[in-house]
This record gives sequence, structure tokens and C-alpha cells, in this order.
Amino acid sequence: MRNLIVVLGLMLAPAWADEPYKEYTSAEHFEPHVSGDLQLTGTYRYWKDPAKLDLRLAGHPDDSWKLNWKHMDYPFNKEMHAGHLALDRGLTLFKKLNRSGTFKNCLVMYRLNGKYETSLRGLRTAFPAYRTDLGRVAGLEEVIEHCAALEGEVLQNGSHDNSAVSLYVASQSLGMPIQIDVSSGPLREAWKRGERLYHQKIGRNNMSCASCHVERVGQSLRATVVTSPYGDVAHYPVYRDRFGITSLHIRFAQCSLELGFNALKPGSPAYTDMEVFMTALTNGYPVSVPSERP
Amino acid sequence: MHTIWRVILVAFLCGSPLGYGYTPGEMMDPKIPTKTLMPKIKVDSGLLEWVPYSVDLSPWPTLCVDDPRPMPRPKKAQYVGPLRGDAVRGKAIAMDTQRGNCVTCHAIPGEEWPGTFGRDLRHYKQMRMSDADLYQQIYDVRTSAPRAVMPPFGALGILSDQDIRDVVAYLQSLE
Repeated sequence: MRNLIVVLGLMLAPAWADEPYKEYTSAEHFEPHVSGDLQLTGTYRYWKDPAKLDLRLAGHPDDSWKLNWKHMDYPFNKEMHAGHLALDRGLTLFKKLNRSGTFKNCLVMYRLNGKYETSLRGLRTAFPAYRTDLGRVAGLEEVIEHCAALEGEVLQNGSHDNSAVSLYVASQSLGMPIQIDVSSGPLREAWKRGERLYHQKIGRNNMSCASCHVERVGQSLRATVVTSPYGDVAHYPVYRDRFGITSLHIRFAQCSLELGFNALKPGSPAYTDMEVFMTALTNGYPVSVPSERP
Repeated sequence: MHTIWRVILVAFLCGSPLGYGYTPGEMMDPKIPTKTLMPKIKVDSGLLEWVPYSVDLSPWPTLCVDDPRPMPRPKKAQYVGPLRGDAVRGKAIAMDTQRGNCVTCHAIPGEEWPGTFGRDLRHYKQMRMSDADLYQQIYDVRTSAPRAVMPPFGALGILSDQDIRDVVAYLQSLE
């Protein structure tokens, strides 16, 4: 056995020998809490309380970005949109999947604050989480795909129906603050990898997420003004006018293509690491679904 | 040999074994012209569709810290004068979102809603930069500004030598 390990080690050694050349946007200090935005863009003070957004800012073409698009969330935005229809479908699908009660048991099978939870309430706020049944950190949509498969149904991660069920589950945590703990264990490792990915400059344009969402916040790409990365996960899955019901991993896939590199399959470990990083930047901000974005 | 082992290692570290590309989990299809796929969300379906994307992005590393493919290092251009650029063609390249795409970040004459990421280019000639220096800025800005956000258009093969000469001619015409 020892010989096998030595031989494997020697065979794999070249893989570590020379790391491929990549550049990284200068790292800055990120806090695993939404208030960390005060050190990055300072706009948090404008969108801290979703119920008290400034109507004048929302209607101002040069300043509306300071609300971090939160004026498109409920309760400021009371418009009916396709997110509401998806939420209804999510409830129908959930009931169908949970005929025998095992689907819900599968979803809530995780440890939270040292005890097993039995309710959907608060479930959204604790994902991504380490799942002992999967043996890895997983986002809510990955777990929905897994649990649906156990019921004999196909709900691919990123599909409309997967996101619809995710929306329904998220709606049971409406107004509750996102709360994942990245201070230790597998989530800490995922946070660190996610932070590195966020700064990695790659692709046809040699750009990273941080190229825009750290270094150019408040500047515009033609008509699109770049906003803070803090607080973004609270409204996912989101209805996007051009794309439909969009999960966070689908958004990462769209960003990948826009930045100039191939998308990964939703649920890929790199996207889950990014999800952990982005979710930690939303810690302390209330879940707000269904929401819409351009 | 090294690359083979790197790919096997990446299979362990990066991804889902269900992807189709060079990196596991990478969504591409070698049978279509651009090889690159984008997700399409089908309403009321549990299946996620992947449809052809307009640009071939398959040569580039993906969002995975262990992707074995390197990015090009900063590179000095081999510019030789005279310029021989076509300013009209240069403007078309600057406005084309699939090529120069300068207007997304820079103010350019005739564009009502330009980007504000980069310097205002509307009177660029007043910068009094030489053709050779401007050519290098567009070819690979990292040689003089390592932290710049601007893509290295020449070093990454987005624009050809003549394309860059045309864009230089256009910018030098903006009085």
C-alpha cells in the first residue's frame, strides 16, 4: 500500500510542479457579512433596510445603482411578474414530490445549531451547507436535484422547475436573514477557494469578477452600472426579464460566457465555492423572493 | 505527459464528471462550430437546455483554480511603422461588441450612452501619445499597467495587427 502511495505521488508530482500562469485582481478584505459593503462601496447604508428604500434614489437614473437593485425586490416592488408564477408552480411541484413526506425529510436532513430541523422555515438561510449524505458542501438547488432523484423525478440543477421548487423553499424563509458560518470546516475552505476564484483573471478578456465588482463599482458598462457583490444572494433564484427563472449557478454560467470563458455545469464544485463566497457576503440580509432583475 | 496528469488531477478537484469539455463540468460540444454552449431555461421543465453560443471560448481556462490551461503572459508588441491604418474601419472595430468593443468602457464621439470604466477618448489626439505607444496600449496594456482592467487585445488574439493599426488611426484622428 505504501509503495502504491509513493508511486501515485511521483506520478502526480508533475501536476503541481509548474502552476499555469494566471493573474489575480488585487485582493481586498472581504467580510462574511453584508455590512462588509461599508468598507467596499459604502452603498449598504442606502439598501440596508428593504422596507425603507429611498423613493427618490430609485427613480434617479444616475443614483439608482446605489440601491443595489433592491428596489426591484418586495416590498418596494409589488408588481406581479413571472417569479410569482414560478413560486406557485414550485408549491405544486413540492406537494407532488412530497406525497410520502420523504422529499421534505431529505431537504431538511442537516444539522443546524446542533439539532435536526424538521421545518422548511429557515432552511434557505442555511444553504450552502455540508451534507453528510452527499459528503460535500452543496447548494439548495443541488440538494433539490438530489432529493427529487430519490423520488424518481428529474429536476436538473438550473432548470426552471428546480428553481421553482427552490423559490418555494426560499419563500418559507421570507424576511429571515441569510446565515451561513464560514469560520471553520469545509465551508471555510469553500469560502477561501471562492474568494480566490472571484479574483482570478481568465478568459478571452483576461478579466475576473473583481475586475468590475470591486475595482469599478459605480462605473458604467454602457447603460449598466456595476454594483456591490454584497447582499446579492438574498433574491435568488430570480426572475430575469431576458432569461427567465435564473438560479445563482445559471447566473455564474451567464457571467462566465459574458467574461469570455466556458460555462460549467450547475452544481460543479467551483460554482458551489463561488456560491459559498457570495452567500457569506449576504449574511445578515433578509431572504427576498420572488424578485426580478433586468 | 505533464498535461495528462494535470487533467486527471483536475477531474478530481474541479468537477462534475458529467461535463463534456477539457475541464470536467465545462459545457462545450466539439461537434458545433463554436464548441461553446450557453444555458437556456425552458419554462415548466425539469430539464436544462444547452444551446450553441456565438463565440468559441473553448481555448480559455474556466472558472476553476486548478484548470491546467495558462493565460498568456504580458507581451511586448513587434510594432513597425509607418502606421498605415484606416480610421473609418478603426471606428467600426471600436463600436463592434464582438471585437474592439471600446465603447462599452470608453466615451467615443457619436455614442450617446458610453461606458465610464476607462478614459474619455473623445479628444484622444490631445494626449499626444505616439503611434507605437498607443499600439502597445491596445496590444497589451499590462506591460505598462499590470493592474489595468482593459483586455490585452493583441496578446489574446482578439484583434489582428491590422485591426489595431486601424483603431490607432481612428483614435489619433479624434481632435
